[in-house]
Amino acid sequence: MLKRAAFVIACLLCMVAGPALAEEKVFINGIDANYPPFAYVDQSGKPSGFDVDAIDWIAAKMGFKVKHVPVDWDGIIPNLLAKKIDFICSGMTITKERAEKVNFSAPYWEVKNVFVTKKDSALKAEEIYGKDVTVGMQAGTSEAKWMAEEKEKQGWKFTIKYYDSAPMAIEDLVNGRIEAAAMNYPPARDAEKKKPVQIIGIFGEVEEFGAAVRKEDKELLDTLNKGFELLKADPYWEELIAKHLNK
Amino acid sequence: MNETLTVLLDALPFVLQGAAVTVTAVVGAMFLGLFIGVPLAVGQVYGGRAVRFVCDTYVWFFRGVPILVLLFLFYFGLFNFIGLNLNAVAAATIVLGMTSGAYQSQIFRGSILSLPKGQLKAARALGMSDALAIRAIILPQALRLSIPGWSNEYSIILKDSALAFVLGASEIMARTHFVASRTYQHLPLYVSAAVLYFLLTWAGVAALRVLEKRVRIKGYVH
Repeated sequence: MLKRAAFVIACLLCMVAGPALAEEKVFINGIDANYPPFAYVDQSGKPSGFDVDAIDWIAAKMGFKVKHVPVDWDGIIPNLLAKKIDFICSGMTITKERAEKVNFSAPYWEVKNVFVTKKDSALKAEEIYGKDVTVGMQAGTSEAKWMAEEKEKQGWKFTIKYYDSAPMAIEDLVNGRIEAAAMNYPPARDAEKKKPVQIIGIFGEVEEFGAAVRKEDKELLDTLNKGFELLKADPYWEELIAKHLNK
Repeated sequence: MNETLTVLLDALPFVLQGAAVTVTAVVGAMFLGLFIGVPLAVGQVYGGRAVRFVCDTYVWFFRGVPILVLLFLFYFGLFNFIGLNLNAVAAATIVLGMTSGAYQSQIFRGSILSLPKGQLKAARALGMSDALAIRAIILPQALRLSIPGWSNEYSIILKDSALAFVLGASEIMARTHFVASRTYQHLPLYVSAAVLYFLLTWAGVAALRVLEKRVRIKGYVH
């Protein structure tokens, strides 16, 4: 009897407290913290990067609270669907497969994909397809998927090796275990500045980044879309680009 | 070299916060495993057919499925399904604890079986119930004998806890990886992570050694 009463009270409390808590809601942005310069953890341990700054600005403008939480890239969509995070704004390419599970905002950034080699390598981008070389890339990314599919279709000769993150592929490239790495341009540019590697050419299609939300969260999607619109019209947008992407 | 040192020093507080996450998960998992493992062991040794079957199935399941799969299965599947909204660290602790329970049960079972069979008979002859005999005679000895095996289990879970990042728990390895992605100092950072794990293993194992000495019954074992 006492147990049942406690249960009823708990339920009532939830019903009363639920909406009150909802007003205090802090939206959680899931990020891939291994993806500089879009999302990473800075020297003081705080999430930082182009996407993080962009979302902070949008949150302030649109009047919601936001927290950035690093999530494993492989599990980032399950995390979103299981409501552990509320949206993903972390250099996520809009793809058909992902759009079946989540809704994307309008594209806010475009990236090219590039091949990276060691500085002293003579390998040319167009030679990679026909050669018996190993190319590293991050598992679960759109470029890796594109590469695997096209390789099958075109009968390309190189071998694909998957890594946890693009920087890991760069690390192995420098170690000489793979001949080339394939990734989005911005992280490649970041690597070029920090490691003895060079970008040798582009491949694949131009990719568009969008923020992802759960299918049912129409309101949040509208807010984000509106926020990006405002941000792009604001001088801060150019500032962000200069700060993170063109330095 | 200097640059590497700066990176390491800068990363230290951030990675140490990860160590706190790791230690929380591991200590939690060890104790949860203890509370699951002891009844499982007792059930496997003294239980009737049905009890033995349940215990065996539990052990078989948790030893048979990789932890990575269990983490996904419970966090995104079961916990969500039953509406249990846990954060990543709590969920990882529970899954690690349940898995460890299966492994720990075998440590305890081994210890129980190493005791002479006559003890239980003697207890019965004195008029003790089986439950009392197990609680007052068997387990106090078996648990003491289990401490060396338990310290092994500790060092294993400590390292398994790195898997918790698939759920988003930012423990030592995840944080090391973040810093490495930003700074491209993979090797020195991973070496530091190894040192950190080494220290944690050493501290835990040493603590259990002390415990082993503390609870030793004089003149009982070698």
